Amino acid sequence: MHELLLFASVPAHQHHELLQQLAGLTAMQPRHRLERRLIFKAYRKPGLMNTRVGASQDLQGLELQRLNKMLNGGMFYTQVVGPVAETDFGAKPSSSGDAHVSISGLEDQSSPPYSYEDQPWKLEFRDIPEAGTRSAVTARLMASATLPKGDITSPMNAWGYSFITEYVVEGDVFVLNDIVIFLHRVLLYPTGAQESHGPRRQLPAYRELSPLERTGSYVLQAAITVQDGGNQEMMRTASQHLFGLREQLKSAVRLEQADRLSLDTRAK
Amino acid sequence: MSDSFSLPLRPLTEKRDHPDTLPIEIAQINARWGSFRDINEETLRAKIEEEKNRDSWSDEDETDKPAEDVDTTEQREQLYKRRAEILQFAMQAHMEALFALDFVSLLLSKHTPRQAETSMSSFLKQVAPLGSLNAEIVNPPPKSDAAVQDVKTVSRGWRVQNFNAAANKLLNSATRLEGEVASETKYWDEVLSVKEKGWKVCRLPRERQALGVQYGFLEATPIFRDRGLAALRRGENGSLRLDKGLAPQKTRTVRVRVKHRGQLTGCSKLPESPPDTVSVERTILQARDTVYEEELFHELMREARIMGSQGVTTRQNLVRLPISQEQEILLDLVDADAPADDAETESTEHDVLADGLSHSIRILLAYAHRQNLRRRTQPPPALSNKRRHTPEYQLLRPVMAYLQHSAHVRWLESFLKDIYGVLRAAGLQCEFQAAPFSSVSLPRMHPAVPKVEALVQQFLMPFESTFSGNLVTPQSSFRVKIRTNPVTPPFGSLYDISVDLPHHAHVQPPSRVGLQSDAAAALTHVFKLDIVSAIAAHGSKSAPEGTKKEGETGLTWEAAYPHHGELLALSATGRSKKLKVTLSRDELTAETYSMRGIDGHGQAAGTKPPSHSQTWKSEQTDSQPSLMDFVAEVSREQS
Amino acid sequence: MSSLNQDQIKTLEQSRQRLIQLTHSLASLITSLNQSDPLPSWTSLQSQATIISNNLLTISDHLSDNRDLLANVVAYPDASYPSRVPTNNVALEQVLRTKLDPRVEDWVARGRRAGSSDSAALGHGQGLSEQALSDLWHWAPVEANQEARRRNWGGNFTLEEREMGIEKVVTGLTRVLDDDDDDDEDQSDSEEGEGEADEMEIVGVRRRSGAGAGLEFDIAAANNTPGAGTKVVAPVVPLEEILRFMTTGAVPGQR
Repeated sequence: MHELLLFASVPAHQHHELLQQLAGLTAMQPRHRLERRLIFKAYRKPGLMNTRVGASQDLQGLELQRLNKMLNGGMFYTQVVGPVAETDFGAKPSSSGDAHVSISGLEDQSSPPYSYEDQPWKLEFRDIPEAGTRSAVTARLMASATLPKGDITSPMNAWGYSFITEYVVEGDVFVLNDIVIFLHRVLLYPTGAQESHGPRRQLPAYRELSPLERTGSYVLQAAITVQDGGNQEMMRTASQHLFGLREQLKSAVRLEQADRLSLDTRAK
Repeated sequence: MSDSFSLPLRPLTEKRDHPDTLPIEIAQINARWGSFRDINEETLRAKIEEEKNRDSWSDEDETDKPAEDVDTTEQREQLYKRRAEILQFAMQAHMEALFALDFVSLLLSKHTPRQAETSMSSFLKQVAPLGSLNAEIVNPPPKSDAAVQDVKTVSRGWRVQNFNAAANKLLNSATRLEGEVASETKYWDEVLSVKEKGWKVCRLPRERQALGVQYGFLEATPIFRDRGLAALRRGENGSLRLDKGLAPQKTRTVRVRVKHRGQLTGCSKLPESPPDTVSVERTILQARDTVYEEELFHELMREARIMGSQGVTTRQNLVRLPISQEQEILLDLVDADAPADDAETESTEHDVLADGLSHSIRILLAYAHRQNLRRRTQPPPALSNKRRHTPEYQLLRPVMAYLQHSAHVRWLESFLKDIYGVLRAAGLQCEFQAAPFSSVSLPRMHPAVPKVEALVQQFLMPFESTFSGNLVTPQSSFRVKIRTNPVTPPFGSLYDISVDLPHHAHVQPPSRVGLQSDAAAALTHVFKLDIVSAIAAHGSKSAPEGTKKEGETGLTWEAAYPHHGELLALSATGRSKKLKVTLSRDELTAETYSMRGIDGHGQAAGTKPPSHSQTWKSEQTDSQPSLMDFVAEVSREQS
Repeated sequence: MSSLNQDQIKTLEQSRQRLIQLTHSLASLITSLNQSDPLPSWTSLQSQATIISNNLLTISDHLSDNRDLLANVVAYPDASYPSRVPTNNVALEQVLRTKLDPRVEDWVARGRRAGSSDSAALGHGQGLSEQALSDLWHWAPVEANQEARRRNWGGNFTLEEREMGIEKVVTGLTRVLDDDDDDDEDQSDSEEGEGEADEMEIVGVRRRSGAGAGLEFDIAAANNTPGAGTKVVAPVVPLEEILRFMTTGAVPGQR
């Protein structure tokens, strides 16, 4: 699959208004999205892949094959994304590691514990954007696959990937026909935390997160995925749809192609 | 307005002035009053109007017609006539100015030839060499008093006239502006009141300067979605007018009618036709309803076309939905104010049903809209050549499934009632329970799904009703499940019959019976089997008692051919007897035949009249011996 | 009898200049009329009319300012004029013509009729006397000018609204409307001479821009003028740095 993208930087003071404009444009209410994003980096040359991954029994055979292909194509940074809810932040870890066992205490009813063991994950692989400026959009190869729940470091290590860092993405999603519009920003965990060698097993209170961009600005991302990146006609259609959106929003934000190197996923 | 305007703009003159020719007016009025407030068709027309009232002594353009009876072509003609006049004056003025320029240039060419030459016309340069004009200062005699006075008179005359013209113009524009302000105020007040009632007022996409109101449904098919927007025009005197463009103005609505045995027996209520005093709000509502109704019918047609296999037929403006052999539903799109054809309607028996259906299909369309919203706001699949097909909405299918299902349920219930009636008449104690639409359970609704949607979802799932009951012999029971699938094949209703017969453990009726007659036959058979078992069991139970009684050796019945309802009893004397049980919905019959041999059930029984016979019907009132009494009776016949 | 001196030639030259302007503006009116069907936009027609009118006014002022000179200059053909060719003479007559064009003659006649009927009315004790009329004409332009000044010919607020305080006016718009009326008043007071024409022209300009934009409110305008209370802070981390962090975890500014 291919992904075509345009980006814009949205200053904090414009955020609220842009949300409303987007709601009007797409005729839908924003869908709030909160994600944990883990960055992994390949540490091993491709081809040394050990296909026996202990924790991957949840995966379909086909999916596993795709994953292998994806991860063994070269040395890349890749993202592991997991949806979370605001209530997961600052929640007590579940005692037994099983969220389904509910503790009879009343106070626990109000805020369910966050269970790292049950955290679903998706692997989001992105290639470096295609070079060349034949069109004014960012185009890149992409693939995603469902990963086993819970602790993801060991399967990732088995694939030859090591954990680099993690952050939280907070934002709102709109859909306009084929285009997914994501108005989001990066939130960082409080510094000085001990858990820097792997993904956090529990999450700090939401208010303790701080925006990466101190002024609280947002990133507007407009994306279309194309099934077959080799289909020039489809790619052109997708670009035109994005340009259409750029035109509709031009008086509010300037959607542009991203700097190619800033999206460079190659691990050197 | 002009009366109350207190500025002394108009000098007092006896006679009405007559208007000026345009170029002069432009110059004069611009000099005195600055630029015009307005030049457009309206002012031009006002001017035409003004000229109409001109005094008789004016000497131009007597051919002007009164403004009110000029049609568009004439207006156009007049516009072009005026334009030609403007052009003519401009050219005249230009020529005169050129003469003056030529003159001054020629005069100056004696002194500053190079400069002066640049502004001389080429014609003049041909005929007059540079510097060929002399100028001298002379002392002319002073002008005569009469001449001075004449200039004064002319000047005064024009001044007065022009002031008058300007004053009139100002007053006219003031009046016009006041009118404009009043109608704008009225227009915007009405726009505001529309907005305050909660309608979405926005700019028209194709006509950015105009306002529109959005009353349609965002999730409708594009052609209907786009029709949900109409311009809010300013009508005469500023009243608001809804401009739907080419869309029909009539209120249309989908009508549901029920046809029972070829006669119309029910019709849904049509919306009341709007009162004579139509408010904008009312018009918007009517437009909204109509666009919804038209979309509804469009979708009904679309769905009906894929339901051909279920006997649904369509005509240009009609959908026919067969429910049962007796009943069909007719749906069509009619004008709301169309006179009801009472002649066709035979009775109002099914009005309630028609109304119910009419509400159902509308609710289902609203549900489809919600589903569209859900789909539209989900992250879309990757772009590919495959087009996303919008599936037909489920409007008719749930309705049809519901009606068919309930027809089946009603039939089965009455069938079982009849059978049980017969059995009870024969003194057999057994009962059945019905649980119609047992699949519809509202508490099962998912909390994440909005209530209204969850409610509708219940009616889009397969309908299921269950009937269960015990039979004559203890521990034997039956269970019938009727299942109707609205959306996915196999369509139609299926009967799932399961039985628990201890005496015939291996007997199971075929599952998934489609026809009522098959289901009836299967059930009747099961009952017959059970009755046979009951008789056999009764015999064996009573046999020990019978042996105790001296001289009364009862026969013992064996279920020889239970599937044919036949039992045999062999007496000690070697003579055998046959008992035949037949069961139908209407009656139970038991007959006995005397037989010579055990095997002789064949022809001999058929030709011989039964030795004893008894029939039980459910509706009979006179007391009869029960089946078991009859059996006991014939068992004793021996001696 | 004397020939023209330099000053007098200069006056004539000024006349020539003004006539050039007039012919140019008339020519441009004719062109634009010819090029549009049926008429040029009223705004352009109006501005052309204003230009022509100003040209005429300038010429008229110039002629009356130099009345003494111009009334006493006579022009006649020089000996060098090739008067033997008949067509030349026709052209010369045309140039030296003092008789009014018949249509102008007509116009004068109509003015005369109106003037004399007005005077006749005066004779019957109706209407205004010469003096009263003259007073009126002196009073009227000033009064009209003052009256005009009291009106707000453009801008986004009515007088009433401004008296109430424009902060309270609910426009329904998120953009901030300028209230530039104060500037207008200051300016027009200082430019007493041309105030009237100027102010009217300003109205025209505003209207023109208003007509073009219509109901279209640029979204950008709203963004550039944030509502009260929100601080305008430009992002300090560039977009590329954010994207790089999201991709590789590279902390901005630490590359």
